Amino acid sequence: MSTSPINNFPTILAASIHDIKNSLSTVCELIGQLAKLDGAAETPEFRQLEFEASRMNNSLMQLLILYKIDSALFCPVIDEYQVKDILDDVVAQQRGLMALGGIGLTVEYADDLYCYCDSGLINTVLISIIDNAHRYCRKTIVLSAYQSGDSVCFQVEDDGEGYPAELIADLSHPVANGPGNTGLGLFFAATIAGFHSNGAKNGRVRIDNDSRFKGARFRLFLP
Amino acid sequence: MVKIATMNLNLKPKKFLIVEDLANMRKAIRELLYTLDVQHIVEVANGLNAITAMKKERFDVVLCDYNLGEGKNGQQVLEEARFRKLLPCSAIFIMVTAEQNQSMVLGAMESKPDEYLTKPFNGQQLLMRLERNQVKKEFFADIEQAIEAGNYSLAIQHCDNKLQEDNRKMHLHLQKIRAELAVNTGDFKKAESIYHEVLLARELSWARLGLGLIAYLQSDYESATEVFQQLIDSQPMMLEAYDWLAKAHEASGDYLTAQAALDKATKISPQAILRHKKLAALADKTGHLEIAEKAYLSAVNLGKNSVHKSSGDFSGLAKIYSKTNNSAAALSTLKDMRKQYINDPEAELRAAALETEVYQQIGDEELSEQAYRTAQDLCEKLGDNIPNDLRMDVIKAHYLKGNDESANAILDQLIKNNIDDEHFIGDVKTMLGSIGSEHHADALIAPIKQALIEINNKGVDLFKRGKLLEAMRVFEEAAEIMPENKTIMINMIKILIYDLKKSGFNQHKLARAQALIKKAAKYGVNADKIGNMLMQLEKMSAVNESKV
Repeated sequence: MSTSPINNFPTILAASIHDIKNSLSTVCELIGQLAKLDGAAETPEFRQLEFEASRMNNSLMQLLILYKIDSALFCPVIDEYQVKDILDDVVAQQRGLMALGGIGLTVEYADDLYCYCDSGLINTVLISIIDNAHRYCRKTIVLSAYQSGDSVCFQVEDDGEGYPAELIADLSHPVANGPGNTGLGLFFAATIAGFHSNGAKNGRVRIDNDSRFKGARFRLFLP
Repeated sequence: MVKIATMNLNLKPKKFLIVEDLANMRKAIRELLYTLDVQHIVEVANGLNAITAMKKERFDVVLCDYNLGEGKNGQQVLEEARFRKLLPCSAIFIMVTAEQNQSMVLGAMESKPDEYLTKPFNGQQLLMRLERNQVKKEFFADIEQAIEAGNYSLAIQHCDNKLQEDNRKMHLHLQKIRAELAVNTGDFKKAESIYHEVLLARELSWARLGLGLIAYLQSDYESATEVFQQLIDSQPMMLEAYDWLAKAHEASGDYLTAQAALDKATKISPQAILRHKKLAALADKTGHLEIAEKAYLSAVNLGKNSVHKSSGDFSGLAKIYSKTNNSAAALSTLKDMRKQYINDPEAELRAAALETEVYQQIGDEELSEQAYRTAQDLCEKLGDNIPNDLRMDVIKAHYLKGNDESANAILDQLIKNNIDDEHFIGDVKTMLGSIGSEHHADALIAPIKQALIEINNKGVDLFKRGKLLEAMRVFEEAAEIMPENKTIMINMIKILIYDLKKSGFNQHKLARAQALIKKAAKYGVNADKIGNMLMQLEKMSAVNESKV
């Protein structure tokens, strides 16, 4: 047995994250207030600040969820959602970020598209993938969703250089041993996909460089 | 039909309450609300002030942080607000949390917020959530209002009409509500068919849970436990499934397994006070006094910030200490209770009845006698308003003081009232066993049971032969002797309903049936039976109104 004096790590972790997130919320709001003062909102520095705060927040979220999965304290809450609501939430959340560097985030979906999922988890996945796309794209990110056989596919495409070949090769294998080269965001996405099953069918993640805009394409299939 | 397309929500006239312990965060949220054109904002820093604010005025939106530092947490605020009916049906309660996916663990036994929102969030996100909830609330408003008013047949009518509108977005939620209404009115076939239909499209835990619940309500405990166990196996964090599993095991007399299920659930989510209470009572019953002590302690501690705080938890804990011969701890627990329940005769009676026993245990006859006299005075004062578990404490005190006459009188009434409640009769036997009077229990119980069976047979027989008045008289006489007996109440209600259906509307009979149903609900007749009887009455009064 360990002789560590810390015997309640989950509580410490949760409390710390709570603390940091409170600070982050305050930071975000302060940025907003400062921006209003003299039209500074449009300066890249302000947008960068907002972007980094959002990234930190999402990383914390992932960390906590992965920790819970690891300690078997995790269970998705599956319900039916209108895909529109999920995507609208993502866009609302990323609103500030997109103004940074004049990048356009467009969404494409059919109003009558519905899926079964844990919407909070899917939100965390998509935010993280879009954050990543934001970093590597030139001007365009398109978030779309469509029916694909008996699954709903959430897709993020950009016009950047695309995923490196080894990353694509790596993720085509089931993720077994942690992030490795796959990047935390993709690892997280694949893990969450695995928690979305319908009967014998499991959710899955595919990445390639077949974007309509010549860059990276991320697809999350939820059965 | 309500339109689902995004509407432009005008937040100007809406009253907002922000519950957040950190001044910086409060300011941040306030600023954010200003950008949404919100004008009426009240801010509070803790749960207690949140409740006070909600008592003073009705809010349209409550933004409540889960983690509020010292005092009540967000869940406790929500529970209390719902319990005290401080939130109108139309109000939107948003729980602000730091992490995603907390809903299961936070979701205490019955209160769930309308929405969880993870921080930090921006104005656009909040606005969208508010709009969505507003649309939903408006869509379901007539159903909710009918349910709130206890008019199930009207609620079902609204629900069925809306289901026919074929609104894709609301369909699944409508099905859920319709199934719950069916369960609450004893229409298990309907509920079952809805749950099966939902499950055919997708394995959703609430639908599966519903099937287990139906089995439970039909006393098919074996199938019920199987369903709940399977749910737990696939969703180990689903606390509701543990609660129902425990209920099913308890109902089938398997107290140990019920206890184990609750023990596990309290470990996953240590915040739900009602679950701790239940666990404490079970562990006390099975003689696992260590578990009982821990659970009572949790209930007492959580009670400090909870609307479910009760003196019974203190006396329960004191009883455990008394059983383990830790008289000092028992007495100090009762002292704590007195401090928290000033001028509360029920709490005082709990303390006095137990002190009678504990002081006698440690050989202090004088203090024991003094406590006993206090208890007797309080009994007089409280009259019929003494809960069953406390009556048992009083009976025990009487026996310990050699006052068999008073003890027997209360016991006789208690048994008569609850003769058809197997589990309670079991508790009575255990209590009598603890003072060495098992045989006395059987001697008391057997003839009462026999008498009830005879009365029942006689009444039912008369009823079957169409002699409604005579049947009614038999049960009326029985009700004089056992006024709180549920079987007798239900039989009287059934006769009245039958009579109303057969011989037509009669205001007097209707009012009588309504009063009896209310009484039956008060004494713990199952909600589905109550709902079913209420609905039959509503249908009759609706028919009558349409004739006028």
